Amino acid sequence: MSRLSIGSLFRRPEAGAFLGMVAVIAFFLIFGGINFLKPSGIASWLNVAANIGIIAIPVGLLMIAGELDISIGSMIPAGSMIVAIMSGHYDFPIWMSIIVVLGFGVVVGFINGFLVVHTAVPSLIVTLGTLFAVAGLVLGLSVLITGTTSVSIKAPDFYKAVFGQFIGGTYQVIILWWFAVTAVYVFYIHYTKYGNWIFAIGGDRESARNAGIPTTKLTIILFILSACSAAFVGMCQALLFNSAQVSAGMSYIFNVIISVVVGGVVLTGGFGSVVGIVFGTITFAVVNQGIYFTSFDRNWSSLIIGVMLLAAVLMNNTFRSMALSYAPKKK
Amino acid sequence: MSIFKNVMGALLATATLGVAPVMAQDGATIAIIGGRADDAFFAKIGRGIDDATLVVEAHGGTVNYLQLQTYDNIGGDAANLIRTAISQGVDIIAVPNWVPDAQDEAIEAAMAAGIPVMLYNAGGGDKAAELGAINYIGNEEYPAGLAGGKYFAEHGATNVICVNTVPGAGNLEARCDGIRDGMAESGGVSEQLPLPASAFGDPTAVAEAIKATLLGDETIDGIFTISSADADSAYIGMQQAGRVETVALGSFDMNVAGLERIRDGEQLFAIDQQPWLQGFLAVTLADGYVNYGLAMATSPLLTGPGIVDASNIEATLKGGELGYR
Repeated sequence: MSRLSIGSLFRRPEAGAFLGMVAVIAFFLIFGGINFLKPSGIASWLNVAANIGIIAIPVGLLMIAGELDISIGSMIPAGSMIVAIMSGHYDFPIWMSIIVVLGFGVVVGFINGFLVVHTAVPSLIVTLGTLFAVAGLVLGLSVLITGTTSVSIKAPDFYKAVFGQFIGGTYQVIILWWFAVTAVYVFYIHYTKYGNWIFAIGGDRESARNAGIPTTKLTIILFILSACSAAFVGMCQALLFNSAQVSAGMSYIFNVIISVVVGGVVLTGGFGSVVGIVFGTITFAVVNQGIYFTSFDRNWSSLIIGVMLLAAVLMNNTFRSMALSYAPKKK
Repeated sequence: MSIFKNVMGALLATATLGVAPVMAQDGATIAIIGGRADDAFFAKIGRGIDDATLVVEAHGGTVNYLQLQTYDNIGGDAANLIRTAISQGVDIIAVPNWVPDAQDEAIEAAMAAGIPVMLYNAGGGDKAAELGAINYIGNEEYPAGLAGGKYFAEHGATNVICVNTVPGAGNLEARCDGIRDGMAESGGVSEQLPLPASAFGDPTAVAEAIKATLLGDETIDGIFTISSADADSAYIGMQQAGRVETVALGSFDMNVAGLERIRDGEQLFAIDQQPWLQGFLAVTLADGYVNYGLAMATSPLLTGPGIVDASNIEATLKGGELGYR
């Protein structure tokens, strides 16, 4: 792999996801027109992608390691409500709310990870439990403290600028956060030993542990990352929309998992890449938002979304099996 | 082991205490069925129920609030809750008739068991008369939408988009139909924008859908949303499309952020169906009916539509901050 060739590029894990993304963008360029790739058109799907993408990477890494985290569905409203109640209902400074938001993510992520590694209960069931528990906790506390399930918040300019502002009037600032965390993840996953460890855990947990990989610690850290990421996205949403609701976020569970799978991560673990997840997230967002640039009857949108996502995954699968069965020609 | 026994004993005692009042009764035993606990709208109905419970308890009665866990099978689940209430042997049931096809049978079963039924929040006056329910307390979706459409037209809107984040739900379709017909009376038009399920609960996806729709059609001068949270998203979408000045925003129901927008002139109006009154009246009227044979001569009892706009925003905002509006 010392020399880059077209062939080796196509055999990279994210190649299928990349081609899927190009295909859906081309599709909407044809049916939606050039508006789709004008700055405000790009913002349409980039904003949606960034919100999903920040959560999709850690969830994807968990899936590579053979685990799943669906508690993100209630961590998003938890993040929104914590910041709205602390800094909207009460007048605590926002930096204090941010610490509590991330602290809560650490606690829930630790509980998820701890239960998964120390019991034989599948992570789907453990995080299903915390999904409901956190939703109930947030609802109960919100009604107890504020008497309502929807709290408004007006953040000071500085915090709006950092977490919940539009750049140039259309791009959510969270896009920059997404790019930044993606760079960090790419570095750690593909250029340090930690990435290999995660793939090893997903391949075979027992062998990974026997090889001296701290599987327990790493799994817990991944759960903490996904819980914190979800809480962070929720917090940014509250600051951007000036309002927080107890019930938002459940659709993220499906949307995140779809993005990760479209991005080439195998549901059973052991295969995938960070860049692939980014492409998958963009594909998902493009498919969802592209509809509004076309003249299709909106009643058919869900059908179109479903078919296009399926096509993207199939494309991806084909490329993966081609890449995995590839053998260089004998010279 | 003894700690375990103590805990179990305490739990049993609590459970018995919780059940006991249903058995031993002087006043009315009222079952009231409602939507999900995390539904902002039903939280306000819940506020009304809590306040009315004080009256019921003063008369020696109890209130049992049965809430749906999900909205995935709303008609069937509500029918099951009605049957749960029947099996508890309550004196009266107050229930929204969300899906008449699924719920009518259970409501008729309650009446056959000698339990009178009060409809509230959903169902309408005609349905109450047809089933023989005591009364209907609440809003009627289509007239409420109609009022919204007329209000839009009176304030100069000619092309309004009705954003529907749960396409297919009968009550929401009726709201959008009302908007369309209300607009049509003054020659305006209104089309529905149905959003896919993947956008529900994702404010960014809803905002971007509205932005893209606005960018695609320069003639849109009004946006109507079916919930207060969607109105928050719609406002962001309008902002991004640079159309806050030229597009009027209206919504069904409201939250504090929406009320603040109305106060600041960034949202035209909200249609209010006064949920607190629905919960409060359903329970107090049920109590009066069982204990003293009291019944309203007016039927249906409409708690909406009321329009909240710049003219009445201050009092509404005060109620909103306290969780009543």
